[in-house]
Amino acid sequence: MTTPTFGALRSQLLDAAAALADGPDALAGILSGIVDDVDRALAEPLEIFPVCHHSPASAMAMARRLRDKQPKVIYLELCEDMTPLLTELRNCRLPVAVQAFASELDGFPQDWAPLSVVAPITEASAEYQAIAYALDTPGVELVLVDRSTDHVFQWQPRKDKAAEPNTEPAAEPVEDADLHGDAVGVEIGDLRPRFAELEEHLLHHGKVRHWSEWWDQYVEQPLGDADYDTYRQVMVLIGSLFRRLAPGARERVTSDEERERYMWTRMRQHLATSGVDAADTLYVCGAFHAASHVDEFGLHGADTYEISPRTATKWHYGLIPSSHSSIEAQFGLASGSVSIAAAVFAKSLTRTGVVPYRLEGQQGGRTAKKKAKPAPVVSPQAQQVADRLSGFLARPPVLDALDEDELLGWSVEIVRLARRNGYLSSTADAIAVFETSILLAGMRGRARPTPYDFQDAAVTCIEKESVPGRRDVRRLCEIMLGGDRIGQVGYDSLPPLARDVHDRLAPLGLKLEQRGVQRALLDIAGDPVLGRCSDLLWILRRLLPQGAARPIMGERRLGHRAIQESWDLALGTHSRELIELGYEGITVEQVLEQRLRRSVWGPQATAAVALGAVEDATLYLRSRRFADELGARAVELLAAERTVDDAPDVLRRARRLLAHYRATEPVLPAWLEAFVKAGYAHYCTLLPNAFVEEETGAKQVAAMLGFLFSMESLALSLGCDRAQLELAVAQSHPTTPGKTALLWAAQHQLGVLSRAELRERCVGLLDNPLVLPAYPQYLSGFVQALEPVPALAGFVVEAISQAFGRLPDAVLLPWLPTLITTLRKEGGDHVGLLVREAGRVFPGDLPTLDTWTPPWSATAPDPAAAAVGPRAQAGPVAALLAVHPEPTDALAALLGCEGAWDVPESQPGSGPVHELLARYPESAVALAAATGVA
Amino acid sequence: MTEMLRAPAETKYAEELDWLESIDDGPKPFSWRLSPKMVRLFILGSERADGLDREVAQKWFGDRSFVERAIVTLASDRGLLLIGDPGTGKSWLAELLAAAISRNSTLVVQGTAGTTEDHIKYSWNVSAVIANGQSRASMIPSPIMTAMEQGVIGRFEELTRSTSDVQDALISILSEKYVSIPELDDDNIVFAKPGFSVIATANSRDRGVNDLSSALKRRFNFVRIPVVTNKKSEAEIVRFRTVELLRRHQIELDVPPTLLDILLQSFADLRAAAASAGSDDEKLESALSTAEQIGVLEDAILHSNFFGDRALRAQTLASSLVGSLARRAPEDLAILNKYWHGVVEPRSKAEGGSWTEFLDGGREAIKTLS
Repeated sequence: MTTPTFGALRSQLLDAAAALADGPDALAGILSGIVDDVDRALAEPLEIFPVCHHSPASAMAMARRLRDKQPKVIYLELCEDMTPLLTELRNCRLPVAVQAFASELDGFPQDWAPLSVVAPITEASAEYQAIAYALDTPGVELVLVDRSTDHVFQWQPRKDKAAEPNTEPAAEPVEDADLHGDAVGVEIGDLRPRFAELEEHLLHHGKVRHWSEWWDQYVEQPLGDADYDTYRQVMVLIGSLFRRLAPGARERVTSDEERERYMWTRMRQHLATSGVDAADTLYVCGAFHAASHVDEFGLHGADTYEISPRTATKWHYGLIPSSHSSIEAQFGLASGSVSIAAAVFAKSLTRTGVVPYRLEGQQGGRTAKKKAKPAPVVSPQAQQVADRLSGFLARPPVLDALDEDELLGWSVEIVRLARRNGYLSSTADAIAVFETSILLAGMRGRARPTPYDFQDAAVTCIEKESVPGRRDVRRLCEIMLGGDRIGQVGYDSLPPLARDVHDRLAPLGLKLEQRGVQRALLDIAGDPVLGRCSDLLWILRRLLPQGAARPIMGERRLGHRAIQESWDLALGTHSRELIELGYEGITVEQVLEQRLRRSVWGPQATAAVALGAVEDATLYLRSRRFADELGARAVELLAAERTVDDAPDVLRRARRLLAHYRATEPVLPAWLEAFVKAGYAHYCTLLPNAFVEEETGAKQVAAMLGFLFSMESLALSLGCDRAQLELAVAQSHPTTPGKTALLWAAQHQLGVLSRAELRERCVGLLDNPLVLPAYPQYLSGFVQALEPVPALAGFVVEAISQAFGRLPDAVLLPWLPTLITTLRKEGGDHVGLLVREAGRVFPGDLPTLDTWTPPWSATAPDPAAAAVGPRAQAGPVAALLAVHPEPTDALAALLGCEGAWDVPESQPGSGPVHELLARYPESAVALAAATGVA
Repeated sequence: MTEMLRAPAETKYAEELDWLESIDDGPKPFSWRLSPKMVRLFILGSERADGLDREVAQKWFGDRSFVERAIVTLASDRGLLLIGDPGTGKSWLAELLAAAISRNSTLVVQGTAGTTEDHIKYSWNVSAVIANGQSRASMIPSPIMTAMEQGVIGRFEELTRSTSDVQDALISILSEKYVSIPELDDDNIVFAKPGFSVIATANSRDRGVNDLSSALKRRFNFVRIPVVTNKKSEAEIVRFRTVELLRRHQIELDVPPTLLDILLQSFADLRAAAASAGSDDEKLESALSTAEQIGVLEDAILHSNFFGDRALRAQTLASSLVGSLARRAPEDLAILNKYWHGVVEPRSKAEGGSWTEFLDGGREAIKTLS
């Protein structure tokens, strides 16, 4: 298919190859192949528009070409399922990213979830020009032809999820560079050498530092004002070069070819169904794809490609905010390059007077409205392709003339910025930057300093030291040259959930769409409307990552009602997360409900999780019906459980819920009764095993016993049998000292073991030198036993005191840290109990300590004296009972007790109060008069 | 050429500089002997793409943009301050720049705590003053003043080691570009000729000793030279300097590539360890620069040449490495001991060969020093 157009160039290149390598060989093959590629792409009747991402030249050429040609259909290399979203772009401030998101997978490995694809769109890009033209020009159709997001993952090798390896990991985290999360990025016109050596070679010989700079110097600038043919030929040439010089990248090339087949097949399908003339169309694709070799290439290519069906995975679509630095981080571009590209584009527009396309109503950016030039009358049919390549390759790069005003402006501005950022810079520095930029550019062989030259000059002249936390001059240059733009998704393009959230938080009166942290003060008692905001904020806190909504003051727990709350809100910063939440449901309540449901019905669900979900449903959703449903599931889960690892959690949560329902409702929910009943039977059954099993800790056993004892009365009232517990305890034969102590405590609680017997056993342990070293473990068991048997506190104090008194140091000291950690881990509950008890037992001051004997060492009271019976007690209780004897009498009659009242003799006139009253009777008399007591 | 232990760059590369000057057709600022592009080529070496008849060797290894920024600064109004860790090649770069631009790199003032203003401006030959009175003939100009008179580059090594008031003597030299001599009645101002500039070097490790005043800072452009961490270019530097060294000592000795690898690898390991260290006690006192590596290798080569069997062995390299890096006992020794047992030992088990000898040599050296 040799056409005479490029014949001269081809023979010239072949001669060069022969001269360089002694005869036609691989080099000649490559060189002539490149020419063939250009020839083929340009001869294609369906006009191919090769682009490169973030290339101002591409965007300029696109704007010009669209005005010239006015195509009826534009085919764009972008995932085809993203079409409906593009109209939403007009509500946003660019850059934003089009996102496809799936959390429930069908047809992909489950561990890939959630899948997310983003395609960032900036204003200075060729694709935005095409989109804006197509959407705002009546009668023009925009067709996305690339594989769907589903195919992106279908074609991905199954071993790992990461598709875009970052070739240049960012040296330091840049602010706002993670707006895309861990999504896979897709982009139009990825044009970069596919193997590192080629890139290194180009950078080295181009005498530049990074790829963006190379591109800027060797392609962007020469192409800036080139005519359309030159632009097209050069872009295809570069695409073809990188394609042919990509050894080893088999996997990527295969995927690229697959995409090309896909796109051409889709385009032919569209042409066939719509009947559009191919001459009225424009195919916008990366330069890499313009030099394609697949059979399907071209209007008359093979029609054998079968598009594979999508999986059943349900995809959600939306727009998320993006930023220049996120784009740079995602696609491994040099920091600042996207911003610089945007600045260059803006400048080219003013210089050339080209009016770019802009979506009607687009937010942000410049709004200068100029009348677009009328479409030229030249026939849209492409003229005969002329060889522009030979001239372009042969002539030295066209040098941009020095733009003194621009450079002066930059120099002054950077000095001002630097001063504001704490650098000692002055007008003299501006002069030096100006001069150095020109010298540097001259040294690098260009008349006009590029932004990169300017950056180097500014660093040389201004940066004298690096101070941590201060922005370096390089970064300041980036900020000055446009800076990092952070996009914003407009209200109308938000998913319903996010819109709903913004609507419902409107009473707060904050601009929540703005980035940064904002403080919200909620006086709920004063304004009940804010109560609903508070509800919503608590749900957001539960669903969004930390920092999106953070309560500063106020808490939400069962049985607690907030009067005032204050929050730190950063919804603008976390708008991606909020938007992704929108893929899960219509309202946050629905999302929370789904998540709770999923957690409870998931394979990892346990009774403790289900109880937690009940708590959440009660707290956040206030839905009794849903809580009941989750509670019923908790009963099922508990009955099916075979381990007791979660027992402490279950106990804590069940107690909380029980307290809540007892306080707020007349009767307990049926599920909770069932839960207590099932739990009683369940833990009774598992108790003997838990006592023996090594993997079950004392803490779990203690929690089980705690459940059994503290819910016992309720369980018995619901028809459980205490004999079951007694039997279970009788069957338990622990082998470790800690659990043995727990068993003893349980027996004591059940009345099997009296306190005297318990004491006797402990004394026995202390007396036996063989078991003495294990005594601390018994003690640890007793401390755990405070959970189920809080009444044992006195005894535990006694046992610990005994340990301190009698244990040899060699045993005592190593155990002390264990005691402290145990007590600390169990929280304040036990410690408080123990300290209170110890305070009661031990004397309060030093002098008393000398004469003090601990109660347990005191000689036991004479049993005969004890048999006399309870002595009538003095005190207010006894006095009360004596004044109103009827209930006591009735109770005694009911229980069948007989006895007479032992009325304590009243002792008037004793005690300081009586003395006081006797001395000043007036107040008592007045009080009596006032209350009407005679 | 008279015999010199170490010839300055302009003498050493005189022939190459002559040749470059003869082919240089680029614009030359002031009285520069080479155009900026040629200066860059002289320092960074030529490539095939430059289309020269002969190859120009690379003499300084590092990022191209540093060299460009340095040259451009000298062509501008400001002085050049090269800043970096010890052993990053600042002084070498300064010497090369001065040699290429003005063919004289010896107009050097060494900054020390004892440097006085006289060293920067001028002093008097006391006996000549007594005999003939104060005149230009009895004045001793400083290297900087000489550079001003000749319109060439003057150098100031270790600027921050000299005291602040002495440093500030440079301010007027850099802004007014003249030095006045109030002792004389006439001919009492020395004006700088075009082409005069100052290259100063400063050590970033002890910048705080005598920090520059902001007035002086303003008159300098700072170029920060980082420690070379790229293994490939580091290997090149070490090889380049070693060859030079061997030539200077007229030693015929092979440096086996495996030993060079071991040296580079162990420095890379120690740097990584230093980077992750929490306090100064956990890292070696040495900056672990490339110059330090060259020093270690030089030590080992000389030792094997004069005391060994004229072949470089891994043991010798190890003991030279331990000897150079162990500056503080016990901290440095402890770190080296940990490195030897935690990293070198497993590696010698895995890879064997020279690593095993390296392990033995290092162990012995640590034992001797402990």
